[in-house]
Amino acid sequence: MAIPVKDDTKLVTVKIDDKEYQVPAGANLVDLAKWYADNDIPVFCYHPKLEPVGMCRMCLVELGSIMRDRETGDVVLDDNGEPTVRWFPKLQTACTQTASDGMVVRTNTEAVDETRENVLEFLLTSHPLDCPICDKGGECPLQNLTMEHGPQESRMIYSDKMHLQKHVPLGDLIFLDRERCIQCARCVRFQDELVGDAVLGFHERGRRLQIITSSDPGFDTYFSGNTTDICPVGALTTADFRFGARPWEMTEIPSISPWDAAGENISLSMRLDRDFGGRAMIKRVMPRQNEYVNELWISDKTRFGHHFTRSLDRLVEPMVSFGDKLTDQSWNDAYKAAVTALEGASGDVAAIAGGAISNEDLWELRQLVEGLGGSRLGAWPPTHGGADLVAEVGVGQDTNLKELGAGDAILVVASDLEEEVPIWRLRLKRAQDRGAYLVVANARPTRMEEFALDTQRNDKPVEGAAVRYAPGEAAAAISDLKSSNKDVYDRLADATNLVVVAGADGLDLDGNKALMQACANLLIETDHVGKANNGLMSPIPGPNGMGLHYLGYTPEVTQDIVANPPKVLIVAQAEPAEDDPTATEWLSKVDTVITLSLFPDRTTSYASIVLPIQSFAERDGTFVNGERRVQRFYTAQGPLGEAVPAWKILTTIREKLGQGRAKLSAAAVMLEITKNVDVFAEMRYKNLSQVTRQFPEIGGDDLYYGGTAYQNRGGLGIQIPSAADSGKVKAGKVASVKATKASKGELIALPITELYNRSNAFMPSGLVHARVAVPYVTLSSSDADDLGLVDGDLVEVSFEGGAVRVRATVGDVPAGVALLPQHLTDEPTPIVPTVVTLSKIAQPVLA
Amino acid sequence: MALKEKYNDRIQLHLSKYPDSRSAVMPLLYIAQEEYGYVNDQGVDEVAEILDLDPTQVRSIAGFYTMYSEKPKGKYWLQVCTDLACALNGADEFHKALKDYLGVEEGGTTEDGLFTVEHVMCLAACDKAPMLQCNFHFMEDLDMDKMKAWVEEKRAEYQAELDAK
Amino acid sequence: MNLIKGFATTFKHVLEEPVTLQYPEQMKPFAERFKGRHHLRRYDNGLEKCIGCALCAAACPADAIWVEAAENSDEQRFSPGERYAKTYEINMLRCIFCGYCEDACPTQAIELGHEHQMSFTDRRDAIYTKTMLIDPVPEGADGTPREVEPGVFTRAIPDMPDAK
Repeated sequence: MAIPVKDDTKLVTVKIDDKEYQVPAGANLVDLAKWYADNDIPVFCYHPKLEPVGMCRMCLVELGSIMRDRETGDVVLDDNGEPTVRWFPKLQTACTQTASDGMVVRTNTEAVDETRENVLEFLLTSHPLDCPICDKGGECPLQNLTMEHGPQESRMIYSDKMHLQKHVPLGDLIFLDRERCIQCARCVRFQDELVGDAVLGFHERGRRLQIITSSDPGFDTYFSGNTTDICPVGALTTADFRFGARPWEMTEIPSISPWDAAGENISLSMRLDRDFGGRAMIKRVMPRQNEYVNELWISDKTRFGHHFTRSLDRLVEPMVSFGDKLTDQSWNDAYKAAVTALEGASGDVAAIAGGAISNEDLWELRQLVEGLGGSRLGAWPPTHGGADLVAEVGVGQDTNLKELGAGDAILVVASDLEEEVPIWRLRLKRAQDRGAYLVVANARPTRMEEFALDTQRNDKPVEGAAVRYAPGEAAAAISDLKSSNKDVYDRLADATNLVVVAGADGLDLDGNKALMQACANLLIETDHVGKANNGLMSPIPGPNGMGLHYLGYTPEVTQDIVANPPKVLIVAQAEPAEDDPTATEWLSKVDTVITLSLFPDRTTSYASIVLPIQSFAERDGTFVNGERRVQRFYTAQGPLGEAVPAWKILTTIREKLGQGRAKLSAAAVMLEITKNVDVFAEMRYKNLSQVTRQFPEIGGDDLYYGGTAYQNRGGLGIQIPSAADSGKVKAGKVASVKATKASKGELIALPITELYNRSNAFMPSGLVHARVAVPYVTLSSSDADDLGLVDGDLVEVSFEGGAVRVRATVGDVPAGVALLPQHLTDEPTPIVPTVVTLSKIAQPVLA
Repeated sequence: MALKEKYNDRIQLHLSKYPDSRSAVMPLLYIAQEEYGYVNDQGVDEVAEILDLDPTQVRSIAGFYTMYSEKPKGKYWLQVCTDLACALNGADEFHKALKDYLGVEEGGTTEDGLFTVEHVMCLAACDKAPMLQCNFHFMEDLDMDKMKAWVEEKRAEYQAELDAK
Repeated sequence: MNLIKGFATTFKHVLEEPVTLQYPEQMKPFAERFKGRHHLRRYDNGLEKCIGCALCAAACPADAIWVEAAENSDEQRFSPGERYAKTYEINMLRCIFCGYCEDACPTQAIELGHEHQMSFTDRRDAIYTKTMLIDPVPEGADGTPREVEPGVFTRAIPDMPDAK
């Protein structure tokens, strides 16, 4: 990948420091000087992912163009026969220049050197000498550029520097140091342009200029951490990492976000810590550049949610119950108990695996179950069913969401991307900024719908449409789009590229499967499959939802397991009883439950054997993200207690059952997968860790875009081809869906996702607690009137398998349904649309 | 939504002037300032609500322009021009004398909450220097005697109001 | 004859002043710049000079220093700035007493003193912790951590060199 060059891009000749380069017309001068000429024009305000503004004046260069005769168009030659150059009388900002034919640039003259020195001297007039304690010190673009271009000594009086507030909290997660800010506005522009949450702004002017946030809560966005990465000084730092370590002391371990289907590439900054027993621990989570997946950004959940890897609540010893109580046992005894249980099942063994488990674990688990004569492999949660269709008509090879733009279209159905996969939401919103037509279809309002309804953004027109369907009618809404919404359908059908994101928001498994089929049909009918930047994606929960599919785990089987419980059930990194109020009922029908778990939870309390597994940070493995990219993560921290990687537990049990010798490494397991599962044929660890040069070139030794962890040393991953990539696919029949019906006085609760919730894995990150919503239920004003409820009432929501007490809020939802977010209450709430009754417990508490 | 109800006509008039509603942020901020005496958080929130902006964006506009005041002001907001032409005519001395007379610092408000004094850049009345702007109305060709008389007059008015209550 | 010559030499030296010292009862005076074991200094008011910046650890050619920093608060204040050393350890077996740490220190918190008599029976004893390295609290001053009035210590790094 180079500077994005389309086939019709003209190449022009640009001369930089007396050398000529062929570059794409219209490319940014700073970018092309770096990419083609290896010439680092220093910048502060410019960032290749943001619109140039030319505010900091650091990138001033001498600029000219070759003179041409106006009549003939010939190059005017001087006395020596060289082309004459018409120079601008003054220096020009390189960041606001784009390549044109005959452009001449000088970056090595005295005038340029002097200007750089002067700009730096100006920026440093009142910059504090905090470097020794500044979290940015050591990876600070201002430090680096000062060393390279700055004045050798200060002419300023140290004691006369301006003193401003040093410790201004912008929300709970980010601190502002007003003295250090050089007013480049990268953070403000990032929030305005990229994220679309304009919650940062400049206040006052001149020396008093400062960054403010007036949102409630402060800095209210899911992407705030990224501003600390792009800040070219230490003005914005995270509360999580504050004084955690110096940048040069940390070892960067490539990893993959363990939260969602985006599979954000991350870098775990590791350092030994006395409070962690002198062992390496995660000091911070940084984005790792992968232009196909997350570019340079990660969500705050990924950045600040890593504390569960060393949580004291984690399971650290195997537990076995011989009578009625689980007791700590040695691994030997635990293995013995597991082997006895599995042998005694006479083949009636099944497994349920969660979406956060790696491919290696899934493979060993499948081998174990099949080796014992079982065949039932279930995926948890049993809500998202379209993985097979994603494998068939998923986004084509080399898809890159950042290439979507004018002429393209995006359809988001039954998914609240902001809460489910924030990075997809960021990149798709960007695509809309570039001109893509964004259609959002849902039964309720979502953040993405707000974007779709915008007509203007950052002074540029944007296009989109919103479709509201009756709850549960998602599939019908898409199937009938042609007749019911001809305009929208035509825009989608005629788009050059079409990406469809279909989820299970407000749907059950059948509804989701029907919707996925309807979306696949739409793509096939309009010939938007088997090509790059075209196809289907689905926010299946967990980082490895697609891995579950490719290794044979399906939600349909989960439903079968629920209906006909096996003798022995292995629950691998899934928490059914935490998610689903009805799980307790079917779990208690299983003779022996064996769990592979990170945390003791409701599910483990039904288990006879509980085996502690390692988190993603402690082991090697691979995930398949929602774009079917197989990505590798590496061991960063040592194991907690006696926890063992799930694949190792399973391979050991297999050896004890006489299923062959245990494998010694995750790489060996992957090697076996490559030999047995066709789609994984290319996915050896060595191949997965390949990296090619990426544009923009960022990180590395030239720190001038900020951040040291961007550099990708862990691999870009490899995308599994979709069936459509290699051949024809046919549209399928959309099954009709039976909608959940409620009788009078009842409502249908639609489960919704909150990014920040009270799940076992997220709770150990205490810093983000203040951002977790108070448990609530949202209902329409007409239902609220009928039930005699007002905003803020405490209500009890009763459903099959339990009841929760939450705050009622009245909002823009269809009559007859209530939105009930998952994982906000201590008790589980329904995972599929369920009939509920609401009863008032107490009046609103007035603050 | 006090602003929207109280000043709906004016708000609608301003909104109708611009193709994009967000352009009306400045006139609306003036209305908020008029209503609350200064641009307070409530005013910012209301303007943001009307224009569908984030409060942060409105707040940064209010912060950038000096004619929006973000601190509570006295009943009479005295802005003394101290730019070159006025300064040559003794505006600096006048400004200082006024502050001393009222016993306030730059930008400060008198204890009774009546007067706020601050200096501003050119108000384009150089021929009438020294001059000041009181609640956006000009007072020209000033000297301290005139000023003292005016201040005492306003104080007496205020006292009379208090007594009447 | 040779015998007498030899004894003469011996007797001659018996009367001379000895060049050896009765170490450890007697000590040779040190050169002013002798580099012995480290001290972590305090300001006159008892606050610690060390700000936990770990530049000493970065400068150390023998990788003998280990620093972990934490944030000061007005309720628990160790040093005048924002940050202090929560952990400060020097492994004296590794240290080569080059003094680079002293050079690197931006607040003159670490200084090499004259003590050189360090012996250990266990390798672990060679690790000097912060409590062993830090100077005693000056007479009349409070120790650390201490509670202070809010708003007194607002700088990230105390103004040098005379911060109180």
